[in-house]
Amino acid sequence: MFTQGIAGAIPKMRSGETSGAMTDDPERFEELVREHQAMVFSMACRYLRNRALAEEIAQDVFLQLYRKLPSLESSEHVLHWLRWVTAHRLIDHSRQEKRRPQSPLEDAGEPVAADSTGNADPLLSEMLRDLVASLPENARVVMILRYQEDLDPMDIARALDMPIATVKSHLQRSLALLREQLSRTKGVGL
Amino acid sequence: MRRILLVPFIAVCAAAQLPAQQLRITGLDGLASKAKESADITLDSNLLQMAGGFLAGAGKDSKDGKDAETLKQLLAGLKAITVKSFKFGETGQYRMEDLEPIRAQLRTPGWSKIISSQSKEETSEIYMRTDQGKVAGFAIIAAEPKELTVVAIEGTINLNDLSKLKALGVPSIPVPDKKGKKE
Amino acid sequence: MNLDDELRAALRREDPAPDFTQRVLAGRVVARAKATHQSNRPIFRMAWAAAVAALLIIGLTATYEVRQMKAERAGRDAVLALRIAADKLNSAREKVVRLEN
Repeated sequence: MFTQGIAGAIPKMRSGETSGAMTDDPERFEELVREHQAMVFSMACRYLRNRALAEEIAQDVFLQLYRKLPSLESSEHVLHWLRWVTAHRLIDHSRQEKRRPQSPLEDAGEPVAADSTGNADPLLSEMLRDLVASLPENARVVMILRYQEDLDPMDIARALDMPIATVKSHLQRSLALLREQLSRTKGVGL
Repeated sequence: MRRILLVPFIAVCAAAQLPAQQLRITGLDGLASKAKESADITLDSNLLQMAGGFLAGAGKDSKDGKDAETLKQLLAGLKAITVKSFKFGETGQYRMEDLEPIRAQLRTPGWSKIISSQSKEETSEIYMRTDQGKVAGFAIIAAEPKELTVVAIEGTINLNDLSKLKALGVPSIPVPDKKGKKE
Repeated sequence: MNLDDELRAALRREDPAPDFTQRVLAGRVVARAKATHQSNRPIFRMAWAAAVAALLIIGLTATYEVRQMKAERAGRDAVLALRIAADKLNSAREKVVRLEN
């Protein structure tokens, strides 16, 4: 569980960074949106497996960023803030959804566009995305940050304000679960 | 001809049936300009009520609290009070005929003279008005060579209490020191 | 290929719809207008309430003071009227007594 607030979780300026708050200049904001939209949207999309909902949540996160910009101190601060807020928005969203009675249609979600994954097996990729999306909330976010954002466990722990042991535990359990699921459903041995 | 005679007859009958009206002090308006000092006070029931409240409040915490209470009681029975008083610098500034419109009213049924003192130069008259057997008002006419005062009081007032008022004094409210008014 | 690589490939970043940036920027304008409106509203409401309260207090105070002044003047006039009446009443009585004697 995340225990501290965002202020404690987001790393402050590191040495060598330019001091001073980020400006809420519209052009600067547009740059930031373009720079980080793939990260925010992808986190939401992988987590929710619903493009429309993912865009909606990503849009909310950026609007929240716009209001928060003057208090953010650097580009890195912005990046960490976006990861932290997106992760928490997604977890909160899925918890709310659990409490809300849903129709079967809503549960199904929207189909996610097939993507080109280079040499990867598109079917396997699709299956992995489904399996990741079925993990418990915290484990799901940890997996997304590990494999989408390529963060090491220490950075994930810092980004989510989570003990590193918990992060490692989530990773190990999730990978074991995925391996088991894959071998069971498709006989894929990874 | 018959019609001409009938009109005054009806008027006389109506006057006889009507109760005596409140005294209106008229015919003295021109005297203020001749007077050295004058007071012209008219207080209706609303103003008297306000005055009573003010006097009670003003005298409440002072040594004159008892006088204030007497004043308040005097005012409580009043419906209206009108005073016109003129002090002249020299004699002959008014004529007795100037008082005729007032005296004409005081001759109507309902009014009766209760005190009258007349000398060569001075006249003091006090009238009382009754309505259905009850005291309904007073009028005072005081005419001296250099001073003329007419007071019309509507409502009930105890003349003994009123006469004691001077002895009692009034609460220490600063009486207006205004031009054209006398204390 | 191992699971780590397959996961990296499966979970790699993906761009949102092409108009996503424009929608966010449009949403910012709306949110900003709404925020300004909402932040202004309580100030206007408070200012309006304060102005009404001030006018009410001024009005009531003025009414009370006018009434007090009117009562004070009526009180002084009443004292003067009764003093004149008492003076003339006593004077008439004295004259009558003097004449009778």
